[in-house]
Amino acid sequence: MTDASFILAVGLMAVGAFATRAAGALLMKRITLTPKVERFLEGMAASVLAALVASQLVTSDIRNLAAVIVAMLTMLVTRSILWSMLTGMIAAALFPHLLAAWS
Amino acid sequence: MVRNKEQSTQPEASVTVSRQGMFVGMRRLLPVCLFVVPFGIAFGVAAVEQGLGPFQTTAMSALVFTATAQFAALDFLSEPVTFLSLFLVVLALSGRHVVMSAALAPWINRLPLAQRMLSVALLSDANFADAHPHLQNGETDFGQFIGAGLMLWSTWVVSTALGAYGGDLFGNLDAFGAGAVMLCFFAATVVGMLRRSHGLILPTILAMAISVLTVSLLPMGWNIILAALVGGALSVVIRHD
Repeated sequence: MTDASFILAVGLMAVGAFATRAAGALLMKRITLTPKVERFLEGMAASVLAALVASQLVTSDIRNLAAVIVAMLTMLVTRSILWSMLTGMIAAALFPHLLAAWS
Repeated sequence: MVRNKEQSTQPEASVTVSRQGMFVGMRRLLPVCLFVVPFGIAFGVAAVEQGLGPFQTTAMSALVFTATAQFAALDFLSEPVTFLSLFLVVLALSGRHVVMSAALAPWINRLPLAQRMLSVALLSDANFADAHPHLQNGETDFGQFIGAGLMLWSTWVVSTALGAYGGDLFGNLDAFGAGAVMLCFFAATVVGMLRRSHGLILPTILAMAISVLTVSLLPMGWNIILAALVGGALSVVIRHD
């Protein structure tokens, strides 16, 4: 592709990416933070991450699901993000071998 | 905590940005950044294979800084470029950042303009997930978000450059193994949020169900936005402390 169309393409992408990042905060400038609005934002914060994980899990293989379940259980027990990532990583690495051993 | 329109007159409304806070955020996100590296390298390799120059590829990562949108954009980056489709795909795939930016607005909007611009430019899934629970817990140093964002941005740019300039050296990289760990990071973060406020459990489960059920019905990315809005609305209805 030509330099001109590359610059236009990346410019558009950069503008689009920045616009979405700025839009939420700008939108909220017009809204007064009542306790209700704060509950909405807090619920949205947890929901957006949960939805991100769920929709990636449903379009990927079962190994990722196994890793995520192990990580969530680890988080419940240890309350440590780091331990959760570690056990999730181990589960993802071991899962294909376990599957092979069982079948 | 109720905020008036005249925010600066409220002492409890002060949000600071300190160097120590930035280092705290950087240190906390270091393990996550390790798993960003394979994605950056994979993007660098893929973009060069698609015909972009190594410098162009690195510049794109520096300016756009959105892994999902950049990977998707590769399909559109050959002549003739369909600019409108490219733009719409970027908007749809980074649309979830609108939600995250709104959720961080109570802190972001209290910063001076320059810091606000910087914070918004550095917003991504990982530093949002990392900083939001701490801020929700009452911490007021927004430096942790900015520091973590700088760390993620530089990791993304440097690892893209590694892949773009030295692609052959890395062979076949298992970026999907790293993807599993990133998912674990986000999932564990959600569990942490739910531990702190039980009222969020039902909204979160509903949000997951909606995103899964609509993933094939809605255009890319929109299922997450819809799920987040419904989850937010339900948590207004359910009272919790």
